[in-house]
Amino acid sequence: MCSQTALKPLMKKSSIIGIVVIAIAIAVIVATYGSASRYGSFADARSTSSEMHVIGHLDKSKELYYDAHKDPNYFSFFMKDKNGNELKVVYDKPEPEDFERSDQIVLVGRMENNEFHASTINMKCPSKYKNDKLDIPQANANKSSSI
Amino acid sequence: MSTVYQGEHLLPGQLGQFFIVLAFGSALFSTISYYFASTDNEKFTGNWGWMGRIGYFINTISVIGVGASLFYIVFNSYFEYYYAWEHSSRALPSYYIISSFWDGQEGSFWLWAFWQAVLGNILIWKAKSWEKPVMTVLSLAQTILTSFLLGIEIFGARIGSSPFILLRDAMGSAPIFSRPDYMSFIKDGNGLNPLLQNYWMVIHPPILFLGFASMVVPFAYAIAGLWRRRYDEWVQPAISYGLFAVMVLGTGVVMGSMWAYESLNFGGFWAWDPVENAAFIPWLTLVGAVHVLIVYKNTKHSYFTATFLTLISFVLVLYASFLTRSGVLDNTSVHSFTDLGMFWHLVVDVAVFFVIAVVLVVVRWKELPISKKEEETYSREFWMFVGAVFLGLSCLQLIVVTSIPVWNHMFKTNIAPPTNLVTLYNVFQAGFAVVVMLLAGVTQFLKYKKTDTTRFAITAIIYLVFSVIIAAGLVYVTGVYKLRFVFMLVMLGAVYTLLSNAKVLGDVFKGKTKLAGSAVAHIGFGLIMIGALIAAGTSKVISTNDTIDFGADFDKVSSSKENIMLYKNEPVKMGDYTVTYIGDSISSPNHYFKVDYKRYDASGKITEEFVLKPNSQNNPKMGLVSSPDTKHYLFHDLYSHISMAPQEAFNFGDESAGHGEGNDDANYNPPTEHDINVGDTIPFREGSIILISLNKEPHVQNIPLGPNDVAIGAILKIVSHGQVYSSEPVFMVKNGNVFDFARKVDDAGLKIRLTKITPNKDGTPKVQLMVYEQPENKKPYIVMRAIEFPYINFLWSGTVIMVIGFLISIFRRNKELKTV
Repeated sequence: MCSQTALKPLMKKSSIIGIVVIAIAIAVIVATYGSASRYGSFADARSTSSEMHVIGHLDKSKELYYDAHKDPNYFSFFMKDKNGNELKVVYDKPEPEDFERSDQIVLVGRMENNEFHASTINMKCPSKYKNDKLDIPQANANKSSSI
Repeated sequence: MSTVYQGEHLLPGQLGQFFIVLAFGSALFSTISYYFASTDNEKFTGNWGWMGRIGYFINTISVIGVGASLFYIVFNSYFEYYYAWEHSSRALPSYYIISSFWDGQEGSFWLWAFWQAVLGNILIWKAKSWEKPVMTVLSLAQTILTSFLLGIEIFGARIGSSPFILLRDAMGSAPIFSRPDYMSFIKDGNGLNPLLQNYWMVIHPPILFLGFASMVVPFAYAIAGLWRRRYDEWVQPAISYGLFAVMVLGTGVVMGSMWAYESLNFGGFWAWDPVENAAFIPWLTLVGAVHVLIVYKNTKHSYFTATFLTLISFVLVLYASFLTRSGVLDNTSVHSFTDLGMFWHLVVDVAVFFVIAVVLVVVRWKELPISKKEEETYSREFWMFVGAVFLGLSCLQLIVVTSIPVWNHMFKTNIAPPTNLVTLYNVFQAGFAVVVMLLAGVTQFLKYKKTDTTRFAITAIIYLVFSVIIAAGLVYVTGVYKLRFVFMLVMLGAVYTLLSNAKVLGDVFKGKTKLAGSAVAHIGFGLIMIGALIAAGTSKVISTNDTIDFGADFDKVSSSKENIMLYKNEPVKMGDYTVTYIGDSISSPNHYFKVDYKRYDASGKITEEFVLKPNSQNNPKMGLVSSPDTKHYLFHDLYSHISMAPQEAFNFGDESAGHGEGNDDANYNPPTEHDINVGDTIPFREGSIILISLNKEPHVQNIPLGPNDVAIGAILKIVSHGQVYSSEPVFMVKNGNVFDFARKVDDAGLKIRLTKITPNKDGTPKVQLMVYEQPENKKPYIVMRAIEFPYINFLWSGTVIMVIGFLISIFRRNKELKTV
């Protein structure tokens, strides 16, 4: 009978699914790490044309420039990266809320004409919602790190 | 050295701490008792079983006691407690007191423990022969959960963090706490995070945590089934409870995105933030689990997948709480997390349940009813299984990317998340969603076990053809075609799901009522996807002079100039609207900026006008926090938020005249002098001033006039940008001295003085007015961003429909459930 001569499938369905799953899982991991960025310095950012993450802190002694009358979509400031190099950073949005309170900044962006153009600014302000200072003149209390 | 402190209320805290220890102890007792009860015998006769129950009851009462103590402390503003000081303040309206429970980690652990206590009682009542093993797992989970609240030092290591710790213990190093009367200096608390002062934040966390808590129940059934070798029976109750967990957690997640949309500034409802992903990941796996559990129940296939997904879902809930609570995400999330030093405690929590699950599966492996036969290709079970696998894969992608900081921590690497993170998530998740939705459609035409191939192929293809046509139309009309191809496929998948499940729903009305729940839930899911796709993909920033679409990857970077400057009372054209910043209203602590939107038809008539009030809270402790305001239409939303306002804007309340007069002139251009008669008009930059008449008896506050004194007021009508204002500067001679009282019209940016009155030749008075105009850059302004979200209501209504579908399914499954 024909039915008995019918070809046996080359592979079991479960094996096919297994292979597809593994292939997709590998694709996910490769895509993630292929597109993963790294935390670098301004010097690293100079050497690449793609976007990268730069961690540093705001130089509060220099001007934070934002003039809504001239351009509501231009904000610039100076940031020191982890190696201590300082560079002007340009951001095409208004100054983020509470920017001056930040103690660490993570920028995502790229170098353009010796300025760092940030597309995203993430601020780390542990004190944003957790104000650790007692509102009392003589008490400069800092919550101990074990809390 | 002991100081006797004054003004503290120590009793509620001691009571609360007692309840915490009791809750922990009773949960541990209950775990041990239930464990021996389970291994003892299957019938509920032994004393162990009763002891387990009593332990759990005591735990429930204790957990409620903890909540009551904490509520009492926050309600009475006892700021000697760190939790109350940190998360509350006197100004906090009483209906937000409950929200302060989830402002801190301790409070949210309590909420979780509370729901788990409630669920445990339901199981004691309902689970019958399952009670002992299932409650063993639940009590263990409750033991670990309450241990996070202990805050007790054991061998030098602090276990957990108690909400009843005193301020002076939490901040012991400060010199103030050496004073016995320190309480008289602690006037107020830090206050609740303004972003949590939103009605969604009263309801969203309880729902979300009920969702998290209920994930333990299917897990407990799976463990109990493996442990007590009841490999087959656990599946049915796990389906019911799994459906419940999926429904509640899904609602909680969508409520969270609604809160983000209504009160956050990033301009959207979903940002793939680690916190969102953390709740979404276990939801995906449990949705997959429920589907394969149903497959197993009907066909005895996919046993391992069903068990695996059920077990991993709860482990992932714990992993999610590790991610969000341990501080491991520090650089990658916009949410702020405080590390309470519980990193390893949280790791242990995940590890305990993971190890239990793995060990049980390995030990029982040979006995598991794993079917040797393969599913038929044309069977519903096979493609449901494939769909569940793809849900798992989508979850895998989320885990791999969200956990990058964890990999860094484990392997001591220093990789950053991809810079195009949102695009990466969108593209991958869209791809998985297409497969899942096509399967959610196609399986409706398949039957369990074996389907007639020809009939199936014909219906499936006919529906596919119709879906392609409808989806193409939608893609064209809504502008989705500007996006990547994969997003067009999402539309196709969603339409296919909708159509095929609509057919099933049609059959329901013909009497095949069993599938009503599934059909309705799938229709809801399809609508959610359509709504999310169109709203996120085709949203338009309209706060620019030339409207720009978002880029093909939903990336807002490609269009950068998104903010517009609005000077007070100067209309600006923005998209179809003419918008004007017309003023402020202050309802402390919120400062609302009133923005008037007008739309004109071709003939210049106003067809629509409304005012949006985005607000900013200039919180002295937390800085400036802005919230948007959104105009909801049936088919789109108009979302506006303040990106920037000058600091002066926040001091509007106290513009006291005559105070600092000299400085005040600096806020204006040099004045212009005008000598005019009654009825004359003076033009100025933004309108005109008309001298209507002179008032011989003007009213000047607190200055009584003597018989020889003279006061004259100039009654002015000021027209600016279509608005009419009135003002009355006053000229006065008192005791031989000349005074004048300037008047301001802030909305027109004017200050006017009446400086001289001289008679004309005909005896009529000639009046000298000094007009001070505010220069452009001294005028009040706001910088605003506005976005149009089309068809977002599909997303919200789809969620409601999906929940209704889940409810119908739960009722159906419960009817089938005959627990022994």
